[in-house]
Amino acid sequence: MADKNDVSEEQLSKEFREYSVAEFFKRNRQMLGYSGKIRSLTTIVHEFVTNSLDACEEGEILPEILVELEEVAAAKREEVIASGDGGKALFEIPQEVLEADMYEFYSNGIMLQNKVDYSIKTERKGKESVKVIILKAPLPVGNTIIAKYATGHIKVSVEDNGTGVPKKNVGQAFGKLLAGTKFHKRKQKRGQQGIGAAYAVLFGSMTTGKPTHVKSGIGDGKVYECDLSIDVKTNDPVTTNEKEYAGKFRGVKVTCEFAEVGYNKSEYSVYEYLRRTALANPHAQLTLIEPTGNVVVFPRSIKEIPQKPKAALPHALGMNVSDLMDMISSTKARSLSGFFTTEFSRFSNDKVKELEALTKIDFKKTPSSLQWTEAEKLVQQFQKVKWIAPEVDTLVPIGEEQIKKSLTSLLKPEQLKVVERKARVFRGGIPFLVEAAVAFGGEAGSTLGQEGKGVEILRFANRTPLLFDAGNCAITEAVKTIDWNRYDLKDIDHQPVSIFVNFVSVYVPYTGAGKLAISSEEEIVVEIRNALMECAREVSIYIHSLQKLADQEERRSIFMRYIGEVVACLHDITGVSKEKLKDKLSKIAKDRTALLEAKDESEDELNSDEDLGDSAEE
Amino acid sequence: MAARSQEKTNKRNTEDISLKIKALGEKLISQIEAMDNPHLDIPIRGSANVHFDESQQKIILGDKMAKRSLFNVAHARRFMQTMLVASYVQKDLLANELTATLRDLYYAKKHTIEGTKEDTIDEQKESDLAIVDFEVALETFRERLNLRAEPKGRMAGNMTVEDRVRDKVDLIDLSKMGSGGWSVPSIVEQINFKKVDVDYVLVAEKNAIFDRLNEDKFWQKNNSLIMTTAGQAARGARRFLQRLSTELKLPIYILTDADPYGWYIYSTMKYGSMALAHESERLGCREAKFLGMSISDIEHYDLKAVTIKAKEVDIKRAQEMKSYEWFKYKEWQTEINKFLDLKIKAEIQSLSSKNLQYISNTYLPEKIKNQDFLP
Repeated sequence: MADKNDVSEEQLSKEFREYSVAEFFKRNRQMLGYSGKIRSLTTIVHEFVTNSLDACEEGEILPEILVELEEVAAAKREEVIASGDGGKALFEIPQEVLEADMYEFYSNGIMLQNKVDYSIKTERKGKESVKVIILKAPLPVGNTIIAKYATGHIKVSVEDNGTGVPKKNVGQAFGKLLAGTKFHKRKQKRGQQGIGAAYAVLFGSMTTGKPTHVKSGIGDGKVYECDLSIDVKTNDPVTTNEKEYAGKFRGVKVTCEFAEVGYNKSEYSVYEYLRRTALANPHAQLTLIEPTGNVVVFPRSIKEIPQKPKAALPHALGMNVSDLMDMISSTKARSLSGFFTTEFSRFSNDKVKELEALTKIDFKKTPSSLQWTEAEKLVQQFQKVKWIAPEVDTLVPIGEEQIKKSLTSLLKPEQLKVVERKARVFRGGIPFLVEAAVAFGGEAGSTLGQEGKGVEILRFANRTPLLFDAGNCAITEAVKTIDWNRYDLKDIDHQPVSIFVNFVSVYVPYTGAGKLAISSEEEIVVEIRNALMECAREVSIYIHSLQKLADQEERRSIFMRYIGEVVACLHDITGVSKEKLKDKLSKIAKDRTALLEAKDESEDELNSDEDLGDSAEE
Repeated sequence: MAARSQEKTNKRNTEDISLKIKALGEKLISQIEAMDNPHLDIPIRGSANVHFDESQQKIILGDKMAKRSLFNVAHARRFMQTMLVASYVQKDLLANELTATLRDLYYAKKHTIEGTKEDTIDEQKESDLAIVDFEVALETFRERLNLRAEPKGRMAGNMTVEDRVRDKVDLIDLSKMGSGGWSVPSIVEQINFKKVDVDYVLVAEKNAIFDRLNEDKFWQKNNSLIMTTAGQAARGARRFLQRLSTELKLPIYILTDADPYGWYIYSTMKYGSMALAHESERLGCREAKFLGMSISDIEHYDLKAVTIKAKEVDIKRAQEMKSYEWFKYKEWQTEINKFLDLKIKAEIQSLSSKNLQYISNTYLPEKIKNQDFLP
């Protein structure tokens, strides 16, 4: 969980109940992924792309997803930020003004000059620091300062060829917070990571005031379009400009404008997110149109549609409090015991009795009467009771061959080793599986600018790239605890290496609600380590052979280097023609280096100067 | 007459060496013709192949040989440098009858290798080592290659020698050399002994002692030659001493400080050194005797009050020397043990604590008269 965003999931749900939607969003922006311009854009794209991939999977369709980013010039906004009282010369500036791409201050219709008419300073206001404008002279009564500011927008549109969303569900799918269907179906799904596409819609309307445009077709010959926004008071979707017409379009296209977002090609960018998504989803074809108009295609490398994850009832071991409360809120069961025995896997009547005794909760009461604190107690006890483990066949890995194909096509490495490990369990019974790969050379590794290539760790949970909070992730920890020197990868930080790990489980133990990193549980770290070391061994063999070749090359170059000098000396001594000697010696040098591949110097030859006793003369 | 014959000998030497170098070059060429890895056979000079020969009383090189090949990563550079030495000696020195210092050679052959950023020689130490390789490969010594070291050492006494610089011949009377004495050249092969009227040679490791003895007319009064080596003896001085000993049968008495370093200077003059084991034959002076100073001298001449505390390095050196074959004499073992026991040392000048001329008038005549020497 990232530094200051350290909010527990329980808190999140609690706050969600207590505050209005907009306020909730503002308070938890960072944790929801909307902090920083680059990251916010990545989060938006992530929410939409995830929905698209899931929709294609649902319909067993080979995904074709187009992400288009377009810069839109924004209209200037104006705001009165100060009114004069004849005495004050110092006024607070609203944050959004200073965060804008450009801002100007006007007084009486005249533009104020920075450093001439005013200066901007940081002041403390209680515990926070605020920016203030300090005028040269107090602002006269009746005068105002108007801030004119503008921020460039980015228009994001994501289009897929999936199943489409039925007209009646569009509002629900994109315009209601925490209302996704995925909270009810326990499948190994990507979507578990997303806090929801609806937040992206909300973020758009908050930053630009503009609604999101949705176009959807379910393949019945009709296309539905509408503008959609969220009523922040009721948390209800509001649709306008609805239209329906005949058309062949199938899939979903979402378009929305955002401010406070930015695009580049850094480690945390949309570009990197899509590149990694492509790596873990070799059956998908992803196209990115960058704001510059440049088109990047991450091509499909396999044509098989991945096996659909088997829907399974949730297992108590994988539960957290907010998920449990969510299930409670929508269950039709009339008692808690009924709720658990019918909606959970491996939850027998014996377990009900056992938990009843442990928690002193009355399992005969209605599910809706379960309190938050009681749910917390239950989840705690879940970890202590012995369970029959969840089924393993609900795990769907990408597959060794598929990973090989995708990494080969996207990284073009000189050497690649992929392993798919057997399923294991953590927390005493939750099945998981690790797929790992180490790619060396070619386009593997991250680009370190001037310094050349460096190691890059590609982290995935159920095929979804984890871009943020790498420091707290089990995958990063596993990578760091391996002694890469042993695998001929000395100074791995500066090696052209891509390390790929996909963690597969119905319950991914994220470190927090942000779903950015996998918790470093011992069984998981050990398993990832083993998988990576298995890969590294193979890569090491290759690197070793490279080094041998380089040694030979070095040897040859040493031999060749001195030939000229030796020839000149021999000519001085004996008068034999230089050309003739040079040819012969070059040939011997070549033969010798080839010969030396197999055997090393014979023993009667000296291998170090020491043997000759080169102590300095006294 | 003698001068002309000496000139002839020199010329013949030059031709011999020149032919030897040419033969070596031709041998390398035939190796190349046979598509073989060109190599030189060089006696190993490490401690494994250096030992003390009891019967000859010399530190000598064993017969273990090593191949120095061009196409061996560990040898390539040194092989090339050895060839640079060979061509310089052959083409620049012998052919023109010129001599040069090791530093001359270093500068003459140092250049950037074409097409690289590498120099043929980085530091003079490298070319010095290549010179040693070349000497031993040819089974000769550097003076024959017209390479000279820095001259060091001065002499005075009743002796006349004839020296030559190319075709200029000089007659030198060592009794008329004033306060500084005659400076022993780095190459002494060309020197002829003319008139020799002395009974022995006294060698001191220190300039100050030479000056003292010269001022006291010691050589006149005692009918001897005196010499200073100014520390570790240079090759010229060592070779000259050997010639005085073998050709003129003069006894050689050596005077050093009473400490392991002084004694080691003595042993080098007498038996040769580990680093130049291949030249003990030419430089060793097996008849030389150690006159002083010893720890016993300190006791006998009551110098305890003017001794210096031995340092850690002195003690370490003494412990090493104790195990050297050529220090295995009972007398030396006793001296070294005394040193290790008392942990004191003394300089020759400590004798001045008696009076300035004590060394000339008492210490030396007494020691020589009593033949109070160490082997």
